[in-house]
Amino acid sequence: MLKSRESDEDELGVANKKLVFQNEEKEKRAAELSIANKELIFQNEEKEKRAAELSIANKELAFQNDEKEKRAAELSIANKELAFQNDEKEKRAAELSIANKELAFQNDEKEKRAAELIIANKELAFQNDEKEKRAAELIIANKELAFQNDEKEKRAAELIVANKELAFQNEEKEKRAAELIIANKELLAFTYISSHDLQEPLRKIQTFVTIILENENENLSEKGKYNFKRMQLAASRMQQLIDDLLAFSRINTTDHKFENTDLNLIVEEVKNELRDTIQENNATIETNELCFANIITFQFRQLMYNLISNALKFSNPAIPSHIVIKSSIVKGSKLNCDRLAIYAGKKINEHPGQESFSPEKNYCHISVTDNGIGFEPHFSERIFGVFQKLHSKEVYAGTGIGLAIVKKIVENHEGLITATSELNKGATFDIYIPAD
Amino acid sequence: MNLNELIILLADDDTDDRIFFKDAIAELINPVNFTAVRDGEELMQLLSNETKKLPHVIFLDLNMPRKNGFECLAEIKKNKRLKNLPVVIFSTSFEQEVVDLLYDNGAHFFIRKPSEFKLFKKIILYTLTRFIPQNIIQPAKINFVLTVENS
Repeated sequence: MLKSRESDEDELGVANKKLVFQNEEKEKRAAELSIANKELIFQNEEKEKRAAELSIANKELAFQNDEKEKRAAELSIANKELAFQNDEKEKRAAELSIANKELAFQNDEKEKRAAELIIANKELAFQNDEKEKRAAELIIANKELAFQNDEKEKRAAELIVANKELAFQNEEKEKRAAELIIANKELLAFTYISSHDLQEPLRKIQTFVTIILENENENLSEKGKYNFKRMQLAASRMQQLIDDLLAFSRINTTDHKFENTDLNLIVEEVKNELRDTIQENNATIETNELCFANIITFQFRQLMYNLISNALKFSNPAIPSHIVIKSSIVKGSKLNCDRLAIYAGKKINEHPGQESFSPEKNYCHISVTDNGIGFEPHFSERIFGVFQKLHSKEVYAGTGIGLAIVKKIVENHEGLITATSELNKGATFDIYIPAD
Repeated sequence: MNLNELIILLADDDTDDRIFFKDAIAELINPVNFTAVRDGEELMQLLSNETKKLPHVIFLDLNMPRKNGFECLAEIKKNKRLKNLPVVIFSTSFEQEVVDLLYDNGAHFFIRKPSEFKLFKKIILYTLTRFIPQNIIQPAKINFVLTVENS
């Protein structure tokens, strides 16, 4: 940017004028300033004096300030330390407060426990006393027991001796019983075999007699014929004896098979078997509804047969024979009572050796009553013996084994039989066998 | 067949009984077909001889030495050739259990030897007449025991 030279000379003239003016002005101003300057120098001097005073004072103050700053710094440090310590102490105080509370709680607990222990202690002390008393009593009791113990030991020793003696006796008895069982079996076997074998020669005697009587009849004298007839009678009687003996021994040897049997059926069968005799005697047999019984059936049929045929045989010829058969289930306790009542009116020796019944057991009581000739009461045991007869064989035939077989059968049933009668007033046979 | 044609065999160890039987047969029928042996062994020997004609009926005693009636009966009933032979048991004693057993073992009849000779003959005759028809089978049990009363 280039300007023309003319314009530049104009501008310089203006500027010169202005500078002259400004110069004048500045001279005026310089005069004023010289005055002001003098004033200011004075003031300056004054201010320098003052400044010196202030400088001194300032220095003093600066020193004091330094001192105070140092001190403040020290205090600040000390303050921080104290603040830290304060904090620590507060924390510790808080911890102690907690610990304090814990201790206070523990203290309370311990006091409670102590109170409890005191009570427990008293209780124990009391118990201790009691135990001491009891111990004293026990010592006394112990002495007593020791004494009794001694006595018992002595007694036990005595019993051991007695026991050994009994054991020995027992063994002896068992041996004896075993021997008896064997002897008994042998005896039964002997009875059976001998009866069996006796039949053979006897039958031959009878057969030969009949052959002689048949073939040699005309060669025999009247006396000879009579003697042969007597021989026949004797032989047939012997055959009857052997048959009965065999029947008696068979009751023992046969296996016992118990069956629950209707007694009505048994009586019916026997009535059928004896039909002819019943008709001949014009007899009636009356039975109520008989019960069932646990029996060896064929043996009981024989028992009924023997009792009924006995009743028919010993009937009173003047009146028709009447036989009543009854049965019932009775408790043993009741039977024992009844038995006592019967004995009360009689002499005991009329019924020796009567066993009593088990009170809790049931018994089947069967009775057979007739209106026949009966017998004197003192024969009531004897009639059950083997070969026991109350009449001669000429009056009443028979071998005296029938009732022995009846008794044996009742015994095989673990039962009891009794006979009750008075002469010419009929007879009653009571049988009791276990029903359970 | 008539009675005289019956071949009869008796096994009995007792001499008297064999004589009674023989005498009875002799009075009743022609005894030519009657044979008696003395024990069970002899009986079984005789029966095992296949050349001989078998009897129509055997009368068998029970108690015999060497081999008794039970053993003979069992052997006869086990033997194919002999098992249909009628066996009549002829015994002195009578025991129901024994009788039952004999029936079960296949005997045809059971007779208890009577003690009167007259009855002896009667029961034998009655028994023999039962075998006049051929091939008699074992009767019902109720008719097994033959007695003088029911003959």
